[in-house]
Amino acid sequence: MEEVTCYIPRTLDEALEILSKDDCTILAGGSDLMVSHKRTIGVDPRFSKSVMIIRNLPEIRKIYTEGGECHIGAASTSSEIAENPLVPWHLRQAASRMGAVALRNSATIAGNIANASPKGDTPGPLYLLDARVKIRSAKESREEPVSDFIVKFREIDLKPGEMITEVVVPLSEDDFDYVFWHKVGTRKANAISKVTVSMALKFEDGGSVVRDFRVSATATGSKTNRSRDVENIIIGKEISEDLIEEVAEAFDGIISPRAMPEFRRETCRRCIRRFLSEAERRRAAGDRRKMIDTYDGYHMPGAPEVR
Amino acid sequence: MEKTISFKLNGRDVSITRNPLSRLLDVLRDDFGMHGVKEGCSEGECGACSILLNGRMVTPCLIPLGAADGQEIMTVEGISATPEGDCVVQAFADGGAVQCGFCIPGMVVAAYSLLKKNPDPTDEDIRLGISGNLCRCTGYDLIVESIKLAARRGRDLWKK
Ligand SMILES: Cc1cc2nc3c(=O)[nH]c(=O)nc-3n(C[C@H](O)[C@H](O)[C@H](O)COP(=O)(O)OP(=O)(O)OC[C@H]3O[C@@H](n4cnc5c(N)ncnc54)[C@H](O)[C@@H]3O)c2cc1C
Ligand code: FES
Ligand code: FES
Repeated sequence: MEEVTCYIPRTLDEALEILSKDDCTILAGGSDLMVSHKRTIGVDPRFSKSVMIIRNLPEIRKIYTEGGECHIGAASTSSEIAENPLVPWHLRQAASRMGAVALRNSATIAGNIANASPKGDTPGPLYLLDARVKIRSAKESREEPVSDFIVKFREIDLKPGEMITEVVVPLSEDDFDYVFWHKVGTRKANAISKVTVSMALKFEDGGSVVRDFRVSATATGSKTNRSRDVENIIIGKEISEDLIEEVAEAFDGIISPRAMPEFRRETCRRCIRRFLSEAERRRAAGDRRKMIDTYDGYHMPGAPEVR
Repeated sequence: MEKTISFKLNGRDVSITRNPLSRLLDVLRDDFGMHGVKEGCSEGECGACSILLNGRMVTPCLIPLGAADGQEIMTVEGISATPEGDCVVQAFADGGAVQCGFCIPGMVVAAYSLLKKNPDPTDEDIRLGISGNLCRCTGYDLIVESIKLAARRGRDLWKK
């Protein structure tokens, strides 16, 4: 069996140069590719085209803020993201609950996005926060919202010669009064999500009218779900029981979970109800604690105990 | 395609000419005789193969050899030869953490990596720290106790 060429570039320029000549499979952490290409003990994994290993490229492992945005190098690992206080809260939550310690030290953010699995954990927060991917080739550089870049299940908008170099997340944290992130897995470690829900809300200054509300969910269809139309139902209005129900139902209308649909639908509805009603309760009570959890002691049907 | 890949293995400079897409797990076991690196699941789920790459715990069943180029690797063999690693190994033996032993090298790496970062872990910290390491025998309780023992005994070691 002919072995494919494997490149190990030392700089980003070198990597882009290689990509311009040879349409490679880009390997970052390897946590998806090494599983999907594995054969058996002692036998090398088999790839169908050249492979370029970018795991250790220093230029794409940096995390910094600039111009009110957080820039996350494509090969930053989940651990690096979870530990970095510059990274927005929702994304740190998602990164800190991926896999277990060792997985988080390998899994990269670009790998999670490019894998384009609806069960991937970082796209939830990335959709919520209007994040973009920065894409480069030897000649060009472009940016695209993550929600457009992920076209559908296992399909991304990446042309031969291109790679993701950065993920850019607008820092809207201070623009939110209340935030929510919840993952339902089968167990605490190395659990692929059954569903994750990310939400954020901002009231008009000193008022009871909603200025911004956002909700996204993963593992509830062929890609991560978010819809401005659904969010607009409550934006510009005061939170009421009826509106909460309307939002929960409208969100239910945009998701299309295949396996365990009722469980996933019910989880989303309950998370939305919980978040919006608790945000309103806290606002009215002058309670400014930002983080809203799932119900204390409340048990999602069929889900593991929430700590 | 073969390439010469050089890295630091347990403090020594080494190099190997091989397919850079070979699993680091196979290279460590077959070419370097590091048999403490165990293969359980082959897909990142069990932690039996855990090693440190640049001081961070990873599972080499998911890592191609080429990704180790120019990097630093410590296996359980190297770790046990340090005072901190020896402290963990002794605590596992004295604390009755070991039954069949298959998961133990990975557990030692996980315990070492945890205590290096967090010398005074709670039970919850310990359980999270080893949550990617599966054990079919012990039910984990004595492993957790042994890690606490290592934290207590090695107090001065870990905090330095
Ligand atoms: C035990 C285990 C547990 C897991 N748990 C979780 C979990 O809890 N949550 C979760 O979301 N995922 C989980 N995963 C899946 C996986 O770890 C993640 O999807 C991870 O983020 C993939 O990143 P990587 O760098 O390892 O990907 P790789 O395998 O290196 O690459 C994945 C894909 O991304 C492409 N790619 C990588 N970098 C770039 C780039 N810079 N530009 C363009 N394309 C690129 C690759 O070509 C490939 O198609 C788990 C996997 C395992 C094995
Ligand atoms: S063999 Fe590597 S994690 Fe199981
Ligand atoms: S002691 Fe047997 S698997 Fe852990």
